[in-house]
Amino acid sequence: MFAEVVTPELFASAVRLATPIALAAVGASICERAGVVNIAMEGLMLIGAFSGMVTALMTGSAWLGVIGAVTGALIFASLHAWASVNLGADQVISGTAINILALGTTGFLMETIFGHPGTTDSVQTIGPVFDFPTGGEGPFATVWLWIDTVFLSYTPIVYFGMFAAIFLTWALYRTRWGLRLRSLGEHPRAADTVGINVLKGRWFAVLASGFMSGLAGANLTLEQVGSFTEGMTNGRGFIALAAMIFGRWIPGGGYLASLLFGFADALQLKLQLFSDIIRIPAQFFLMLPYLLTVIVLAGVVGRAVAPTAIGKPYSEKG
Amino acid sequence: MAPDATLICSAPETGPASAPILELRHITKRFPGVLANDDVSVAVAPGEVLALLGENGAGKSTLMNVAYGLLVADSGEILVNGEVVVIKAARDAIKLRLGMVHQHFMLVEPLTVTENIVLGLEPTSRFGGVIDRATARARVIELSHRYGLKVDPDARVRDLSVGNQQRVEILKALYRDARVLILDEPTAVLTPQEVKELFQIVRELVSEGLAVVIITHKLDEVMSFADRIVVMRSGRIAGETTPGACDQASLARMMVGREVVLRVEKSPSVPGDPLLEVRDLQVSDDRKLPAVKGVTLTVRAGEVVGIAGVDGNGQRELVETIMGLRRASKGSILLRGKDITRDDTRRTIASGVSHVPEDRHRRGLVLQFDLVENIALGDQRKRPFSRYGVLDRVAINAEARRRIADYDVRTPSSHVAAANLSGGNQQKLVLAREIGRDPDVLIAAQPTRGLDVGAIEFVHRRILAERDRGKGVLLVSMELEEVMSLSDRILVMYGGLIVAEFEGGTVTDEEIGFFMMGGLGEHDPKSPDVSGGEDA
Amino acid sequence: MPEQVIDDSPEHRAQEAERRFALEQERIRRLIRVATPFISVAIAILLGSVVIALSGKDPLLAFGAMFSGAFGGTRQIGETLLRATPLIFTGLAVAYGFRSGLFNIGAEGQLFLGGIAAAFVGVMLAGYPWMISVPLVLLAAALAGAAWAFIPALMKARIGAHEVITTMMFSYIGRYVVSWIIAGPFKDKGQIPQTPELPETSQLPRLSDVFTFIEPNRAHLGIVLGIVLAVVVWWVLKYTVLGYEARAVGFNPTAAQTGGISVSMTTVKSLCISGALAGLAGAVEVMGVHHRMFDQFSSGFGFTGIAVALLAKNNPIGVIAAAILFGSLSAGAGTMQLEAGVSQKVISVIQGTIIFLVGAEAIVSWAVKRIRSMKEATDVR
Repeated sequence: MFAEVVTPELFASAVRLATPIALAAVGASICERAGVVNIAMEGLMLIGAFSGMVTALMTGSAWLGVIGAVTGALIFASLHAWASVNLGADQVISGTAINILALGTTGFLMETIFGHPGTTDSVQTIGPVFDFPTGGEGPFATVWLWIDTVFLSYTPIVYFGMFAAIFLTWALYRTRWGLRLRSLGEHPRAADTVGINVLKGRWFAVLASGFMSGLAGANLTLEQVGSFTEGMTNGRGFIALAAMIFGRWIPGGGYLASLLFGFADALQLKLQLFSDIIRIPAQFFLMLPYLLTVIVLAGVVGRAVAPTAIGKPYSEKG
Repeated sequence: MAPDATLICSAPETGPASAPILELRHITKRFPGVLANDDVSVAVAPGEVLALLGENGAGKSTLMNVAYGLLVADSGEILVNGEVVVIKAARDAIKLRLGMVHQHFMLVEPLTVTENIVLGLEPTSRFGGVIDRATARARVIELSHRYGLKVDPDARVRDLSVGNQQRVEILKALYRDARVLILDEPTAVLTPQEVKELFQIVRELVSEGLAVVIITHKLDEVMSFADRIVVMRSGRIAGETTPGACDQASLARMMVGREVVLRVEKSPSVPGDPLLEVRDLQVSDDRKLPAVKGVTLTVRAGEVVGIAGVDGNGQRELVETIMGLRRASKGSILLRGKDITRDDTRRTIASGVSHVPEDRHRRGLVLQFDLVENIALGDQRKRPFSRYGVLDRVAINAEARRRIADYDVRTPSSHVAAANLSGGNQQKLVLAREIGRDPDVLIAAQPTRGLDVGAIEFVHRRILAERDRGKGVLLVSMELEEVMSLSDRILVMYGGLIVAEFEGGTVTDEEIGFFMMGGLGEHDPKSPDVSGGEDA
Repeated sequence: MPEQVIDDSPEHRAQEAERRFALEQERIRRLIRVATPFISVAIAILLGSVVIALSGKDPLLAFGAMFSGAFGGTRQIGETLLRATPLIFTGLAVAYGFRSGLFNIGAEGQLFLGGIAAAFVGVMLAGYPWMISVPLVLLAAALAGAAWAFIPALMKARIGAHEVITTMMFSYIGRYVVSWIIAGPFKDKGQIPQTPELPETSQLPRLSDVFTFIEPNRAHLGIVLGIVLAVVVWWVLKYTVLGYEARAVGFNPTAAQTGGISVSMTTVKSLCISGALAGLAGAVEVMGVHHRMFDQFSSGFGFTGIAVALLAKNNPIGVIAAAILFGSLSAGAGTMQLEAGVSQKVISVIQGTIIFLVGAEAIVSWAVKRIRSMKEATDVR
């Protein structure tokens, strides 16, 4: 059974399943480094998934769908930015409102546009970037199959997620933007007194997380599933928060932590196929990612240090 | 303005000697509840040190925050080099070459010294936006050599001593090529020796043609370093003078608006039995580093024991451990001979130890609670405030009324939120709770921080009254003067240890200051110099 | 009161004037705070109308239908109260958490656990008189809800893991656990995954069955229970040491700790009480409406509870009113869909908007200030 479970496809599936979580986690770490809590990723992802799907169905182009997904998520992210950055609202509550608003809006539009609740029509998903030939016999062919499946089999947004994690980690520590962003989350008044525009910087960070969540949604509907189902994000936005914390608010760390969740998810999907051998009810497999999140948090939170000014509204004239 | 001032001091010249570089004209700034600046005009010229003297709440910091763009005045104008300018944000002020060192440092603690200094004006390499770290570091080293401000450019700011953090702040301004440097209460956190060093640096800067404005409430300092003194009171200019034309007593009168007693009158103490004993106490701080490294002290009935020391030398951890807010890793705490080392805070309070915390907003009060509920805090489980888990609101109200009257807390009603009180009245409320509980031992940490003279006098009298009633008082303060004037015995804390002990009234500032830096004189071992050194 | 003013200098008089000005400002701010829920509901309904109009339907017709569906007669009012009942409980759950500085976003999961516990204990106690079984069923549900909040509470207290993530994760886990119990070990006979029916002695009777002068409707005794419980929670918060300590920790944990209150103990207690209240919501829903447990028994009561608590400004008595408002929205939504062809989901748009506006109080005061300054501008002209 081991050989049937541990296949190259298992790892590739882990990466694919990790991607929406990872994109959101990377976005969240940027947002929180600037001092804004964003628990709205769940909702932003859902909005992205839906608006991406609708755009794709209307235009017939999955690529335009990606743009639609990002636009939708950015609009809702602006709400969060406006409330929490400009008006000093409670960021956790603003995020909750957006989550519920997203659930309601997508549900309402779903029935209005498609005339029924549940699942939308489907579109042709975006295919993998590369298409190298595999097959044949011998050790070389096996190694190549592994390499091709684990590294070269993905769709564009998956690769973008990897790139974003690496690039943003570098940028956070090596560029002017990164230094300023970090100062916003640690001591916004200090940043203000040296002439850094706190509101602008935080707006940008919130929008960045909206952008990433929108892409996560696009990845779900346009690259993975091919259709939209109400509430399909299923807690991924919250898992992304845990991944961000596990990754110590570093984009790359968040990405790696997401891989852990992706792997758990891939494994449980795979093991479900063997339910006649293992005989564990499906519900216990399904709860695995959430259970893992709790365990990870229990193990790590005490030692991970959040940005100092996280969640505190900043007013220039305070 | 203020004719009484001219009667007291012979104020010869008005305004700076040469053409001012920074001038504030008719500044008015209103906050909800306070007129912080009321038609204030001040000017400073290159090459001079202007002292802006006034009590807490007199409006000095507000005025300078207006100049630096952190606040926008309701009316009035700002001139730089004789031209009217608009300063709406700090970036405007920086462009006009103004620099400011705030009382609470504007440093990003997890970042390095270099990163803090260049933040907002980072040298970048060809690729847009990539920080050129070599250049940044070189510039910091160059500046720090030029002005004799020794700091390790690679150290993390959170690992630096307060004195060194202040240097970083000054370097930050110099890096931006400031021509006017505003220092807000720069000596509040320094030892007497560090103060001396700071003034040497200030002299150096002034000789390079900078204008320096120092905001302070300390009379002796003003007399020793200022070229010119502007006194503020209740948001207005109370007078202007020079150190040569005035003495401390008349300056004090100008500052407060009435006759002030510079030192508290107190009778000699009659110490009785030991009440609180701390033996070889060791405690770690939040970062799990040792903060208290073996402190032994005794507070007897009828005496005030004062702990002097620079902030961050283990005082906070010591107090918190006595109160059961923190765990001791070694050693013991005895109250009337009974071991209370392992007691939690509630039991410690119940056994007769009261605590006036150093930060009344964060620790002292629940600001959203009304006065009554704040009075109950700490006694809510005890009769008559509650029985069987149910609060007796009538009893609490009655007791609160009594204490509010006793401690002269000025409030429109006992049912307004504590947030609505002034700082002085908030502190009186804390005292009403902590002393009103009638403890055997009172631990007062920074009991007068941020208060005006009237409130300070009140707090000091209350503390001494407790002593005279035979209670033991442990006073922790960064204000050396406060420790000196109240204490019957003075302990100096440095690096988590008690490094010296004196009888009250037998020592000078300098002697204590010497030990506040660990008895090592000019050099602070906590501060690595440019060439390296320890990096915690 | 020591309100005698001795000092009579011009400075002091100026200070006094400023102080009065400040109190006046404070009064206005308090006014805005009180008005916020009402303004928010108004704005949200307005926004809902715009959304309905944009979807090509008539908002007036829609809200008219909704109103008649919620209050048009005894049956309709009964339906409104029926839907308000679990919301009072979840609203209290979330409000109690908020008062203690905790955001119990996972009330939904605790509600499921409470529901299954009620279903199980109710069936087990078949044969006992209702005076024994009803209290025990309620107790079991409360304990189950509290238990489900306990681990997140412990994680918050011991290592500071944010309860928003942990209670949310436990909510998912709880739903799967319950789903398994319903489909597996405690499944009723037949194909449908649901628990066996409660014996009548464990059910909460309809109001119209108890008070026969009321015309028949579906509202059950749970609403009375909810109102009583709201008063109890109000009393606990205001008049007990437990509530005092919870509020102290909620406002300022550092000061509470300095005052000798154990923050971690209080956190655990408060989140468990919150969980217990949510668990009771599941129990009344099972005992009063469905008389058994199945997967779809809650239409997101735990999440609507957040909106209820926020709209009520976490005031237990206010929770009753807010729950009835949301209950009426939910009861009227069906009629609205039927008569105006507007999707029921529009009410969750309204709900989200209300959370946004009330929770982010700043938005309403911003709007009020905007309107004021616009008025002033026109007044000048």
